[in-house]
Amino acid sequence: MGLLTDPSVGHGALTSIFVRHHNRFCIVMYIVSVALFCMLAHYSLSSQTYFSENALLPGLVKGQLNDNTGSSFRDHYRELNAEAEHFETETPHSYLISKFKNLRLETYSHNFTLNYPLKKNTKYTGRNVYGILRAPRSASIESIVLSVPYRAPSSVFPSTLPGLAVMFQIAQFFRHQIYWAKDIIFLVTEHEQLGMQAWLEAYHGTSCGSPGVLDSGKLSGRAGAIQAAINLEIHSEKIDHIDVKLSGLNGQLPNLDLVNLAHRLCNKESVKHTFNNVDGGAIGRNKVNSYYTNLSTMLSMVMTQATGVPDGNHGLFHRFGIEAITLEGHEKEGRGIYSSVLQVGRVIEGMFRSLNNLLERFHQSFFFYLLPSTDRYVSIGLYMPCLVLLVGALFLKAFSTWIQHSTEHKPGDSSAEATIPEHLNVGMVSVITLGSHVMGLLLLPNLAPAYFTHFWNYMPTHRALLLGYGSLSLTIVCILPIIMKKCLNSFKSSNWVLLHVICLLELGIGLLCVSMHNFSLGYLTALVYVLPAICTKSSQNNLIVKFLWLLVHPMCSLFWITAYITYTAYPELPITDYLTKVLEASGQWMVLSTVDNMIYGNWAFTVGVLLLLPVWTAFWCLMFLPTIDSKKMKTE
Amino acid sequence: MEKLLIFVYSIGILIRIYLSFSDFSTSIADRVEVSTPLNSWKRVIEGVSLYNENLNPYDGDLFHETPLALVFFSNLTSTFSDFYVSLVFIMCDLMTAFVLYYTSKIYTENLLEKQTKRKHVYYKEFNKLLIPDDFSVINPFYVCSVYMLNPYTVFSCIARTTTVFNNLFLAICLYSMVKRHRLLGCLSLVLASLPTFYTFGLIAPLMLSCVPTDSKKKTGSFIFTFLICGAISCMLLYLCYTIMNDWAFLDSVYGFILNVRDLKPNIGLFWYFFTEMFEHFRALFVCAFQLNASVLYVIPLSIRLRRDPLLLATSLLTLTAVFKSYPSIGDVGFYLSLLPIHRHLFYFMQQAFIVSCFFVGCTVFAPTVWHLWIYSRSANANFYFGVTLAFATTQIFLITDLLFAYIKREFALKHGMKRMINGKEARLMLD
Repeated sequence: MGLLTDPSVGHGALTSIFVRHHNRFCIVMYIVSVALFCMLAHYSLSSQTYFSENALLPGLVKGQLNDNTGSSFRDHYRELNAEAEHFETETPHSYLISKFKNLRLETYSHNFTLNYPLKKNTKYTGRNVYGILRAPRSASIESIVLSVPYRAPSSVFPSTLPGLAVMFQIAQFFRHQIYWAKDIIFLVTEHEQLGMQAWLEAYHGTSCGSPGVLDSGKLSGRAGAIQAAINLEIHSEKIDHIDVKLSGLNGQLPNLDLVNLAHRLCNKESVKHTFNNVDGGAIGRNKVNSYYTNLSTMLSMVMTQATGVPDGNHGLFHRFGIEAITLEGHEKEGRGIYSSVLQVGRVIEGMFRSLNNLLERFHQSFFFYLLPSTDRYVSIGLYMPCLVLLVGALFLKAFSTWIQHSTEHKPGDSSAEATIPEHLNVGMVSVITLGSHVMGLLLLPNLAPAYFTHFWNYMPTHRALLLGYGSLSLTIVCILPIIMKKCLNSFKSSNWVLLHVICLLELGIGLLCVSMHNFSLGYLTALVYVLPAICTKSSQNNLIVKFLWLLVHPMCSLFWITAYITYTAYPELPITDYLTKVLEASGQWMVLSTVDNMIYGNWAFTVGVLLLLPVWTAFWCLMFLPTIDSKKMKTE
Repeated sequence: MEKLLIFVYSIGILIRIYLSFSDFSTSIADRVEVSTPLNSWKRVIEGVSLYNENLNPYDGDLFHETPLALVFFSNLTSTFSDFYVSLVFIMCDLMTAFVLYYTSKIYTENLLEKQTKRKHVYYKEFNKLLIPDDFSVINPFYVCSVYMLNPYTVFSCIARTTTVFNNLFLAICLYSMVKRHRLLGCLSLVLASLPTFYTFGLIAPLMLSCVPTDSKKKTGSFIFTFLICGAISCMLLYLCYTIMNDWAFLDSVYGFILNVRDLKPNIGLFWYFFTEMFEHFRALFVCAFQLNASVLYVIPLSIRLRRDPLLLATSLLTLTAVFKSYPSIGDVGFYLSLLPIHRHLFYFMQQAFIVSCFFVGCTVFAPTVWHLWIYSRSANANFYFGVTLAFATTQIFLITDLLFAYIKREFALKHGMKRMINGKEARLMLD
């Protein structure tokens, strides 16, 4: 109980050591955090995946899907291809409906409308088709979804027609089985994620984005509560490997059991399976090599998760509490061993039979994890310390700044210092923090962008947004220092410790909250913002720190990221073309981000505007607030 | 200072009015941190409409206010429209802030007076530790502004929890303590503790503060205060009986509080513990928990803090706000606004910074984790309980720190801050 019962006034020896060397401690914590994060990919810190939910009973039965009964895969595929060629840009709805009806599924279609939020009176419509296979062994209480996004031949993305044909094949097979205890929904969506989102919203009768943007319409037929979903994107008849994708909206992940299930069954059917296009296992690799492979796989997962954008249609299910993954079958190019679609079909059959066994919804195993390989995982207890170290550095900085301030101003040590009044400037500090947050609120993605596009309506949307946000940020960057210098001269004899501490704490707590939802986003943001934050002092910041802050302005950060991505995509572009490309791409990022926010409720942009921008602005104010030299004060 | 006070007041009123009439208020009212089964306005409305339909609201497990409150709210909702009901809540909050302002003013003035009387006893060096005169102006202002601007009390007010009325009675009770007004104190104490039960522990500071200055008739005065409280309680309970014509409300109000029947999560510690509990241990642990929340600290603290009844009241309020079965942030906000009254102790407090960081952190974290648990379904109850546990620990740290500060200050005033033994600085041990 020494912590509480220490009767001395002031602070103990340990505290004073922390306070005196806090900068060193902060740097050490930063370095340890990065090192620990890199260590996570190592064999000793990650563990072997396992099945936590026993009811799944993976691979207990032999796959029975075959080409011998009914029409074969080839028949379906040929028929589908012929039909698809008639519609260059559209979905053959009537064909799909009749096909589902021929397979004797309960077939429905679902219309939806998107009112494009950044332009008035622009509407897009779409139509999904779905068929329900009613479970013979129970009432329609629970269901499982198998979905395929339909892509017309003109689409920029690789075709999913083979996947659709597999779905027909599976539906035909499932129709004759007697063991189903859960309804199975076969769903063909249009317009990539938009159709999926509309269908899910209509199924659950809610709306996730801004009101009035996505009119999800009504469903005329429903099955039970969806327990799990599998999204199929198979690009070819000859499959090189199945890639299991899991990152969902806002970085939400599916239950690890479902992911394991997919890998286990791929293994059983001897289909090559990968995560982020890297296959697992240490076979054939030496230790160093396998560590690097694991690290790069984990990093690529972190990057995907950090964007908060789902990397497949499965990502939209997660918010409704439905575990979902995408199986993407990549085409085998050239000669060599390949997996047939029938093998993949048996993988799906196995997964559905396992899911059919589920007695409760997925609740065991992990929801928070990082995967360095297909068969290893890092749990939350191991990766969270990395972030806690970074945030801890912020708290330590705030703590020691505050303690230093309060010991300087305590009446008690010497009479001379006791006369210095405590100028904490509560009023001015609250004006600055409130002001920066109000600005953040006004720039929210469902407010500002509509005005920008309305104001510069002769420009393309992405340029208007870039111009709007860019000019506002530039104004703040340039005007604030001048205002601070000119107008706040009366505050000369005061200090701004309070503002400094508030900024540090807000950043720390905000990052913790973000990382609870989306660890990758939280950690990457922390990596960028913690460094300048711990370099900052309450007064007399030198030019380097100011420059550092300028570099990490949210707009600048966006710019750096796009610059890097553009460079990796087009390394040989001349410099002027390169710069225009980067600018255009940044604008498009912002448009995508705002639209995502309004349709799907992706909050990556909101975090930028409501957390990073206000904190940045407050720190920027701190740089330029008038103070008198602390040395001068002492000599006086 | 008066201008500032008016400014703070008007800001507080504007925030409350704006939030009460925006959509925000309904989402706040649905938060488990703000509305518990005991104080939620939704349940009051349900109970009142049952009562107006001539159904007994205590039949189901829905309504847990006293019959007195039932009649009061029934009249309130029938005479006023929804708009004015919100205004009544805001008015009550304003009155609470006002009463607290005067409580703090009188208390600090009394403290200053006592200090000038006892100056000769104090250690000479420590004139700096004495309370400066301007505290009697600044402290009330702080108390008032903390109550007006604290998000906890603001949320509690706009969610229309009945804690608002409870806080008003508690404030009047504290006021009568510093005013040494026995009858008013007893009445407000009983009114405050009738629906919530736990605050009856405040009878100890009330007894202590109503003692006449010539200390001969101490015991008599104690018994007298106790009897008055008892009599008022009996009268009010009988009044409740005459309203409902049966005693079923006793079980619905006190049985519900003591048996912890509703295990909906809140910021307290009961819900998690009793969802995990095996049924046959329940009675034992309910007793242990309830003793801890209600009477355990009353006697030892009243013996130690007998010279400072208001500090005793603050610490008892804090402890019940942490340990009671259905705590809400309205209770937390109330005792937080009492802290500036004891500003002369702040110098001796050690954990202020950490405690305030944790307060902010827990406040932000609780809704985050709740969202993960309930909406995303990816986290679970343990996450939320972790936050509430941290919150409870923080509050315990705060109150322990405050009480130790009181003891340290008493000691330092008599003996000085630095004690030298053989030329070395000696350390005090408090074990």
